[in-house]
Amino acid sequence: MTDSKPIYTVLSLAMLLMVIAGCSTNVVVKGDFPAPLAHPLPLNADLVLTDEFRTYTFTDEKTKGKKLSFTIGEAQAMLFQEITDALFASVTERRALEGNATGELVLVPRVEEIQVARPFETQLKVFEVWIKYNLSVYDEHGQPIADWIMSSYGKTPTRFLTSDEEALNQAAIVALRDAGARLIVEFRRVPEIQAWLRSRAPATAGEEKQPT
Amino acid sequence: MMTWSKKALLTTLFILISGCTNTTVNEHRETAQPLRLSGEEKIIILGRRHAGHYETEPDFIRCIGQRLDNGHTVSVMDEQLFIDRLYPWFEPRTAPLKLGRLKYMLRDPLITERMADLGIRYMIWVDGNTETTDSSGSVSCAVGPGGGGCFGFATWDKASNYEAIIWDLRDLTDKGRVRVDAKGSSYLLAIGAPIPFIARVQGEACDGIGNQLRAFFGGENSTESAEER
Repeated sequence: MTDSKPIYTVLSLAMLLMVIAGCSTNVVVKGDFPAPLAHPLPLNADLVLTDEFRTYTFTDEKTKGKKLSFTIGEAQAMLFQEITDALFASVTERRALEGNATGELVLVPRVEEIQVARPFETQLKVFEVWIKYNLSVYDEHGQPIADWIMSSYGKTPTRFLTSDEEALNQAAIVALRDAGARLIVEFRRVPEIQAWLRSRAPATAGEEKQPT
Repeated sequence: MMTWSKKALLTTLFILISGCTNTTVNEHRETAQPLRLSGEEKIIILGRRHAGHYETEPDFIRCIGQRLDNGHTVSVMDEQLFIDRLYPWFEPRTAPLKLGRLKYMLRDPLITERMADLGIRYMIWVDGNTETTDSSGSVSCAVGPGGGGCFGFATWDKASNYEAIIWDLRDLTDKGRVRVDAKGSSYLLAIGAPIPFIARVQGEACDGIGNQLRAFFGGENSTESAEER
């Protein structure tokens, strides 16, 4: 009898873990982003990716019994690196806004809000992810140029995927790709940024080389 | 060699377990001449994903591609590979919905050169999806110390509606369109063990649209050629 006790303990713990795991979804968003096809602006830029941005995790504890933890920091940092590399002549990465700028523009992305909708909430057979970014843009002297609120959206049908985690990962990657598309296509159309580009030199303002 | 009686039995069994699907295919051609690809030219088949409530399924696009690609005269490029190579110009937010928008996009030499590098001659846009339109009945299963089993009856209807539009990238014209509507009912009968009678609604839609597109590119669209695959 005494020999079987550890087995019962292990089995009980395993079952408890299975019950707890069954009630929560933990997603660490992972994926690759293709190199964008874009005409770079003839500008050097500083990209400020703070530790908060790099490790950003969204948690939803409001939905009873279906807790969601959604870590998107690493993936979104990778996306912004990829996109800004294509958008500017050169990019220097920094961890904080404080300090001297090396480029003519300083970009600081922040996550304003994330919303996740799962099939049990919407009665639709899709997972949906909305990400709202605030992209603060400063000039080389630290003067603010623009605060661009940029929303992106991604959805994934459940049937192609094997688990909720995989479906949410896929929806998040689609939302991040959408954010990248908006950055490439709309960055130079933001009125404040357009005005700043025009004020610098006609050569950098122009630029309707690419379709918008 | 399989005897005739065995063949008849297998065919009947296949018809029984396949459920019933009705498929209607309509086509419109701008020209009676078959569309030709030369040398390294390829076709790209893309699904529409801009609508909020549905998106054209990637596996349906792959299915059409497999029906169309014959390995020698017609070559189809992988959808995701194309979208990645032209990122961000064919994302749901940015993809051209009309030929006029594509013409505007192709004024950008970066996009034109990339398209030329990939050898894309024809772009086929597929819009639509497959959805469950109705369902009823229920099946219950139970397991006990003496064994387990299921009991009940469930039925569901599915409908597939798709339209494919062919764009010629050489002269930027619309070369034709194919529309397919398929409907089918599936059943699940459970008396001890569950016995499914599944209608291949999306599969039939893929066969219908794929065979018709093959006919555009000079291939056959006969039933025999479909069965060979």
